[in-house]
Amino acid sequence: MTVFKTFLKILNKNKFIIILYTVFLIGFGGFNMQTSDNSTNFVASKPDIMIVNYDEEKGITKDLIKYITDNSNIIELNNNEEAINDGLFYRDVNYVIYIPENYGKDFMDGKNPEIKIKSTGDYQSSFAEMLLSRYIKVANIYQKSIDNEDELISKINETLSKESEVEITSKLDTDGLAKATFYYNFASYSILACLVYVICLILSSFKDIKIQKRTIISSTNYRKLNRQLLLSNSLFSIILWGVYVALSFVLIGDVMFSNQGIIYLINSFIFTMCATTIALFIGNLVSNKNAINGIVNVIALGSSFLCGAFVPVEWLPDGVLKIAHILPSYYYISSNESLKTLEVFNLETMQPIITNMIVILGFSIIFIILTNIVSKRKQKIG
Amino acid sequence: MFIHNFKYSLKTLFRNKALIFWTFAFPIILGTFFNMAFSNIESSEKLDIINIAIIKNDDFNNNEIFKTAFEELSDKNNDDRLFETRYTTEEEAKKLLEDEEIVGYMKLVNDEPKLTFTTSGINETIFKYVSEEIAQTSNIIKNLSEEEIKKEMIAGNYNIDYESIYNNVIELTEEDDVRLNNVSNSNLGYTMIEFYTLIAMACLYGGILGAVAINQNLANMTNQGKRVSVSPTSKGKIILSSVLASYITQLVGVALLFLYTIFVLKVDYGNKLGLDIALAMAGSLAGLSLGVAVATTIKSNDNVKTGIIIAITMLGCFLSGMMGITMKYIIDKNIPIINKLNPASMITDGFYSLYYYDTLDRYIFDIGSLLIFAFVLIAISYISLRRQKYDSI
Amino acid sequence: MKNIIEVKNLTKKYKELKAVDDLSFEVHEGEILGLLGPNGSGKSTTINCLLSLLNYSNGSIKIFGKEMKPDSYDLKSKIGVVFQEVSVFDELTVYENIDYFCGLYISDKETKKKYIEDAISLVGLEDFKKFYPKKLSGGLLRRLNIACGIAHKPKLIFLDEPTVAVDPQSRNNILDGIKKLRDDGATIVYTTHYMEEVEILCDRVIILDKGKILAAGTTDELKELAKIEEKISIEVNDLETKYIDKIKELKNVDDVKYNGNILLITYKKGKNNLVEIMEYLKENRIKYNKIFSERPTLNDVFLELTGKELRD
Repeated sequence: MTVFKTFLKILNKNKFIIILYTVFLIGFGGFNMQTSDNSTNFVASKPDIMIVNYDEEKGITKDLIKYITDNSNIIELNNNEEAINDGLFYRDVNYVIYIPENYGKDFMDGKNPEIKIKSTGDYQSSFAEMLLSRYIKVANIYQKSIDNEDELISKINETLSKESEVEITSKLDTDGLAKATFYYNFASYSILACLVYVICLILSSFKDIKIQKRTIISSTNYRKLNRQLLLSNSLFSIILWGVYVALSFVLIGDVMFSNQGIIYLINSFIFTMCATTIALFIGNLVSNKNAINGIVNVIALGSSFLCGAFVPVEWLPDGVLKIAHILPSYYYISSNESLKTLEVFNLETMQPIITNMIVILGFSIIFIILTNIVSKRKQKIG
Repeated sequence: MFIHNFKYSLKTLFRNKALIFWTFAFPIILGTFFNMAFSNIESSEKLDIINIAIIKNDDFNNNEIFKTAFEELSDKNNDDRLFETRYTTEEEAKKLLEDEEIVGYMKLVNDEPKLTFTTSGINETIFKYVSEEIAQTSNIIKNLSEEEIKKEMIAGNYNIDYESIYNNVIELTEEDDVRLNNVSNSNLGYTMIEFYTLIAMACLYGGILGAVAINQNLANMTNQGKRVSVSPTSKGKIILSSVLASYITQLVGVALLFLYTIFVLKVDYGNKLGLDIALAMAGSLAGLSLGVAVATTIKSNDNVKTGIIIAITMLGCFLSGMMGITMKYIIDKNIPIINKLNPASMITDGFYSLYYYDTLDRYIFDIGSLLIFAFVLIAISYISLRRQKYDSI
Repeated sequence: MKNIIEVKNLTKKYKELKAVDDLSFEVHEGEILGLLGPNGSGKSTTINCLLSLLNYSNGSIKIFGKEMKPDSYDLKSKIGVVFQEVSVFDELTVYENIDYFCGLYISDKETKKKYIEDAISLVGLEDFKKFYPKKLSGGLLRRLNIACGIAHKPKLIFLDEPTVAVDPQSRNNILDGIKKLRDDGATIVYTTHYMEEVEILCDRVIILDKGKILAAGTTDELKELAKIEEKISIEVNDLETKYIDKIKELKNVDDVKYNGNILLITYKKGKNNLVEIMEYLKENRIKYNKIFSERPTLNDVFLELTGKELRD
C-alpha cells in the first residue's frame, strides 16, 4: 500500500508532463489527417495548381484554364513572386502556370507560344505537367487543320472528354484506416515517452539512498518490492492506454468499431506492456534524476523516428528499417501498417500480425529478465 | 576579476553534464534522427515506376495504338518511362492486384479501356489518365483521318491512299512541340527546414547556459550568488563576464552542430556561409537574451527555469516547422505576426531565405528582428538586474 | 574597546510580519558574538541586512565605522561570510571552489595561493583538494563551505549556523578553527541554536526571539537571569507522594517534579544541595539508581525568558 501511495504522489507531481505528451498525440493524431469522403467510387487525385494569367480570359485561353481547373485543385496565392515561391517550397502548390500576354491570339496564329511554369518536381507536379502538356498537344494538333476558334475548342473538348471506365474492388474505408494507423503509430511515441519518464522518476525516487537502505533491511525482499512496483506501474500503464484508446474513439470514430479496431486495441495494449517493461528496465539502470529527461527523449524520439511513428514507413530508407528491427516499436508499427489493407480476417491473413505480437511479447520478457538481473546486482552493491 | 570570473564561468558550464547534453549533444542526436527519417522523403515523392497489368485479350492484341503506346511507356530505355507492365490473363491480374503487386489492371473492351483498382490514389489516377490519353489520341487520329478523307472526297479524289493519310496523321500526333519553360528556383529541398529548425533550437537552448551562468551571480537566486554579492566586486562586471562566457559556450555548441550538419548530414545551407554564421550568432544572441530574461525575472530554481526555456523553445520550433514543415507556412500565411515575434521562426526563415532566395531583403529582415528581440529582452533584464538589494531572498 | 559593528533600531518587515523588530547592538573588536535563538527568530535576516543583501524598513547599520551599502567595496573586502546553506559549485573541485571565491577578493596570485592553502589546512581538507563537493560527506562539505567564506582572511566574519547536521568530529574541527580565527585577530558574529556551542565559544551572547533581543551579555551574566542555580535529577522507582511534598520543603528547593521514574529538583541557590538530598534519601530509606547534579544552561535562561524550549 505504501508503494502505491508514494506512486500516486509522484504521479500527481508529474502530471504536467503526461498532459504534454497527450496533447502532442491529440494535436498530431487528430490534426494531421483531414478526412475526405470515404466513398467507394474512384476519386481522381488532383494536383495543386496555381494559374497566373496575363492574357485575356476568353477563347482558347479560357478553355485551357477551364480544363486545368476541372482536373486540379486551383490554389489562389497572392500574385507576388515571394508568396508563390514560398507556396512552392512548402508544397502548398505543386505547379504554377504563367499564361503569357496575347497567348490566345498567338496560339491561333500558329506561333505555339512558350508557357513559363514553376514546379516542385514531385509526382504531383509531374501529373500537373501531364495535364498541361496534354491540352497543348491536342490543341496544337487540331490547330493545324482548324482555323475557327470555336470549332477548335469544341473538337479539343470532345477529344479530352473521353474517359476510362474505372472499377474499385476494395470496400475498405481507406481514409479512416489511414487515420487510425497514423494515430496509433504516433501513440507509440506518447506511450513510450510517458511511461519511461514517469516510471523512471518513480523508481529513482524509490531508490533514493535512504529508502533503499530501508527496503534492503526491511522484511519486504527485493523481489516482492519489484513485484509491487511492477503492479502499480502496470496499473498506470493500463490507465494511460485506456485514455489513449478512449481518445482514439473520439478522434477516429467508425473505424474503431470494426474488426480492425479490435486489433488496434490489442496491438497497442501489448505494446504498452512492453513499453512498461522497458521503462522498468531503464528505471532500474539509471539512478540520476537529471539524466532521465535526456534518456527519455533519446529513446522515445529515436525509436519513433527509426520505426516510422512520425514519418510513413514506406518513406524510410532500407538501412534505417534494418536497424529498426531491433526495436519493439518496429513490430508494433508494422502491424498497424498492415491493418490498413487487411480485408479478410483469418489465421492466414492475420499471421504476420500475430508474429509481430509474439515478438513484442518476447521483448517484454527479455526486459523483465534484464530488470531482475540489474536490480539483483544493485542489491549486492548496496 | 573579469577574467577570473569568466574562466570559472566557462569551467562550471562545461562541466555541467545536463547542460552540455541539452545544448550540445541533444541537437546533434535529434539531427541524426531527422537525417535517418527524412533522407528518403524527397526522392520518394518523385514519380516512381508504376506496376500495372494489361489483360491480353483480342481487343488489345489488335489495337496497335494501345499496344505501341504501352510498349513505349514501359520501355526500360525510355527516360520518360512510367510503367512496369505485365501482360496477363484476367485471373492472374486479379491475383496480382490482391497481393498488391500492381496498382491496377486495364482491360480493353471495344477499344475502350476499362480499369480496375483497389483504391483511389495518385498512381491509379496517372494510370487512368494515361489510358485516357491513348484513347484520346485514337480519337484524334480517327477524327483527323475522317477529316482528310472528307477533304479528298470533296476535292473529287476517289482514289484515296488511306495508308498515307493514316501515317501522316499519326506523324502529326507524334510531334512533340509543347513549349514549357521551367523557371522554378533550384533549391527546393524542403526537408532542409527540419535542420534549420534544429539550429534554431540549439541557438535558443543556449539560453539555458545564460540562465544558469547569471543565476550563479544573483543573491536572490542561488546561494553561490549570495557569496558573490557580498564580495567586493561590481555586479555589472561579474554579470557581463558570466554572460560572455555563456555566449561563447553557446557558440561552441552551435558551431559543432553546424559542422556536424554540414559534413556528416550533408545539409545544404546555400552558398553564403558567412551570412549563415552571422545569422547563427544573432540567433544565439536571441537565445541568450531569452535565457537572461527568464533567469532575472522569474524567481525559481534552475530546473524550473530550464523547463521554461525548453518549453518556449519547443513551442517556437513547433511553430517554425520542426514537427511538420507546413506549420511554419500556415502561420506565415495566416498569422504572420506570430512568427515575426518567434525567434525560432526568424532563425529558420533566415536560413531558408539564404538557401532558397537570391535576394537578401528577407534575410536582413529576419536578422534585424532577431536583434530587436534580443535588445528588448536584454533591456527588460537590465531593469531587474539593476536592483542591488532585495526585499526577500 | 572599538566597535566593529553598530546597529541601531534595525527593523525588517515582510508585509505585516516583523522579522526583525527594532534591533540595536554592537560588536566589539576581537570578540566572538553569539546570536542565539530558535529557528525563525530573525538571526539570518539580521545578518542578510547587515550584509546589505536585504532591504530593511528602518534603522542604521555601520560597519568599521562606515555606513554599509551594496557598493561599499572597501568594507566588503574586509568581511567574510559563511552562509547557512552550503554555497559551493558542484562542478568545481574543493580547491577550485576556494580559489574562485577567494579570487573575488584577492587578485595577487601568490598571495591567493598561500591564502587558499591556509584555509584548507584550517578546516582540515588537505586530503580532499581534488574532490568534487558531491563526493564529500556532510561534515566535510560544511568545512568546505567555511573555507570558501574565510579564505581571504577577513577582519570580520559572519558564521550563520555553520555546524547544522555535522558529525561530532567535524564540529570540533570547525569550532577549533573558529577559535583560531579569533586568535588571529578576526571579529566573529556566530549564529546558532545550539547553546553548548555558544557556551564553549562565545565571549558575548545575544538571545533573539521573534525578531527582538531578549537578553544580552556574557554567558555567566545571562545565567544569572535564570532564577535557579542547580538542578539535581534522581532515578528512583515508586516514590510515594508524601515524600515529594516533604522534599519541596527542604532548604533552597525551588520546585520538584516527578515524571516516570525521574525526580527533578531545582534549587534557587547552589550550595551543599547534593549532600543534603542524599542524606534525606538515606534517612527515609528510599532506594535510587543514579543521581546527577547540573549547573543551569542557556536553555534554562531561554525557558525562563520565554516559557518555551530553545530547540523545538
